[in-house]
Amino acid sequence: MGQEISEFGKVFLFLAVGVIFVVLGFVTSRLIRPHRPYTEKLTTYECGEEPKGSAWVQFNIRFYVVALIFIIFDVEVLFLYPWATIFKQVGGYALAVALVFLGVLTLGLIYEWKKGYINWVVPTPNIPKMPTKKFEKPKSLEKPKVAEPETTA
Amino acid sequence: MPEIGLNHFLVLSAILFSLGLFGIMTRRNAVVVLMGVELILNAANLNLVAFSKFNGTMSGVMFSMFGIILAAAEAAVALAIVLNIYARFKTVDIGEIDTMRE
Amino acid sequence: MPNNLPEIIEQVKLSLGAFVPEISLSALFLLVITLDMVLNEKRVVIPMVSLVGFVITGFFTWQQLDMPNQEYFLRMHVVDPFAVFFKFLFLGAGALAVLITMDSEELGEKNVANIGEYYAVLIAMVLGMFLMASASDMLMMFLALELVSISSYILTGYLKHQIKSSEASLKYIIYGAVSSGLMVYGMSLIYGLTGQTNIYEIAKFISANEVDEVTLTLAALLVMGGFGYKIGAVPFHFWSPDVYEGAPTPVTAFLSVGSKAAGFAMLIRFFKVAIPAEPTGELAFDWVNFFALIALVSMLLGNFAAIWQSNVKRMLAYSSIAHAGYLLLGVLVADDLGTQAVMFYLAAYTVMTVGAFYVVILIANKIGSDDVNDYRGLGKRMPLTAAALTVFLVSLTGLPPTVGFIGKYMIFTALLGKGTVFLTLAIIGVLTSAVSLYYYFKIPLNMYLRESEDGAETPMESSAFANALAAFLMILTIGFGLFFTPLANFAKNSVIMLVMN
Repeated sequence: MGQEISEFGKVFLFLAVGVIFVVLGFVTSRLIRPHRPYTEKLTTYECGEEPKGSAWVQFNIRFYVVALIFIIFDVEVLFLYPWATIFKQVGGYALAVALVFLGVLTLGLIYEWKKGYINWVVPTPNIPKMPTKKFEKPKSLEKPKVAEPETTA
Repeated sequence: MPEIGLNHFLVLSAILFSLGLFGIMTRRNAVVVLMGVELILNAANLNLVAFSKFNGTMSGVMFSMFGIILAAAEAAVALAIVLNIYARFKTVDIGEIDTMRE
Repeated sequence: MPNNLPEIIEQVKLSLGAFVPEISLSALFLLVITLDMVLNEKRVVIPMVSLVGFVITGFFTWQQLDMPNQEYFLRMHVVDPFAVFFKFLFLGAGALAVLITMDSEELGEKNVANIGEYYAVLIAMVLGMFLMASASDMLMMFLALELVSISSYILTGYLKHQIKSSEASLKYIIYGAVSSGLMVYGMSLIYGLTGQTNIYEIAKFISANEVDEVTLTLAALLVMGGFGYKIGAVPFHFWSPDVYEGAPTPVTAFLSVGSKAAGFAMLIRFFKVAIPAEPTGELAFDWVNFFALIALVSMLLGNFAAIWQSNVKRMLAYSSIAHAGYLLLGVLVADDLGTQAVMFYLAAYTVMTVGAFYVVILIANKIGSDDVNDYRGLGKRMPLTAAALTVFLVSLTGLPPTVGFIGKYMIFTALLGKGTVFLTLAIIGVLTSAVSLYYYFKIPLNMYLRESEDGAETPMESSAFANALAAFLMILTIGFGLFFTPLANFAKNSVIMLVMN
């Protein structure tokens, strides 16, 4: 006794306690619970909406463009953090540099805007049918239509 | 048991690297292959940050920051290309996208 | 190296003076983007603006000839004659790429609605190559390489409605992303071994300290993977046939000369500077033998695989793999003579390869095919174009009186007198060149000695501008073959690389 637990020991303890907790919970509930199945229990939720169609929906391609633009501006912040730490010491020159950097990015955004790449196109709804059997994709999904509306301004 | 040192980071990054390489070599789905590439890049980033921490220079941290940014840029272009491939071929299986070999 | 903030800022401000060509290219990029937004008619204006921008950048680069060899931007960027030579090469290749794009039907109004972006991305690629040639820090090498790579993925897939172009871009980005990932991992290991990212500091550390040899070898091999993919040498060549065939032909031409030259510039700088021979004559990592192996396999595989190709672009792809092998022979000599030969050969390769691809574009504009069997009877129908193609192929084979002969001659002579291994490599180089004669001359054979199947003999010459450009490149190919001294001297004077002590 008296030995310190190392960092790995702590992680291991944490893992072990977590696993034991979950297993113990499931096993005891299995042992002591009554067994009375009926169909209502098999629906998604006992309260709330009935699901319409399957979850295998194709998302509009425009989400991808939004995500892309998000990434650009997300990553931009990564450059601005180190800049912000020295901004006060350097002053005007730092401001000028950051303005050039942001200016280039803004030009990119204007370019996308002008070319109509960020125009939101209302998608044609394409709701596939609910699969009849388990693990079977509906026919409509095997050859999905690719909605690729050209958006030239 | 030893404290967490440089070697632990290196082993973790080597595992990440191997997983990425394994994914690249075995998977046929273009998106999964790109995920493997992402793993390799992150393994390198982990290496850089760990070395930077343990030898006291900051250049590794800087390197890893640019690594993250370039990974994002590359992923953006890669996904655009994969989307275009899907529109042309109706599949992203790199084994099936092979029209040019004679 | 300054440590406190005001000094760092001062150095960055001073460094801007050595960065004028790059700034000029960046401004050109922004200008083209803006013009693309506001103009309606872009097909003539934007290429013209790009050409003017290249000329202005060339002027700024020319001014750098007199600048002292020095590192800038906290030892990220270096200006020396070696970098300046390559900058001129990239500007030339970029300008030629713009010119041949203007004449390509593939990228013409029928197929591509939006050509403005094309030129913008092309300029970004030239900028990346500039940075590749003068990067002296692993971080800058990685950034510049990725700038070139990402731009080239976009250009390769520019014909996004075509199956071939899309497929080429997918293959390119998958191979490219994997090899750049491997390269970064290798760089991270080198950083771990030495604690430095600057290549001069790495060299200093390696020669002063004992470095674990196995790790260094592994790291250098990984880094070599990234470079090897850029130059298209053998174990990393899988992308090149498909990409060369699928990409729009002007892009193929630019990739095969620009990317390759930039890759070689960076490779030479990295391996000559970062892993130099130790005073005892030994290398910390024996890259010479690895390069010898790669060069050998590249020459053999490139030349023999090209024999079976019937698509001209694909054939030129395999021939470019073989040329990567020849160029590596010059690199692995690791002395000034070899480097000079590589630089001369890259300049020669630019002229003849762009010329060959340009003629392929002109022929495809007329007959709509890249297949060598469709070239039958073209000798009568397009006499000037066919003659130009023949000259370029003679030059690619390395026969006198063309610039290709001088280039190969310089590389092989650089190998002489350095031991049997190098001598053997030179002999293999000559023999494989003889093999290349066989497949290159399939094309003139079809053009001159075989009749086309439908017996068509109507002449179909291209426009006066196209003929003039093809003739210009043809004259350059022969002219530099006869009067090679100025170019050779320029290469000789540009071998000087910044050396730290």
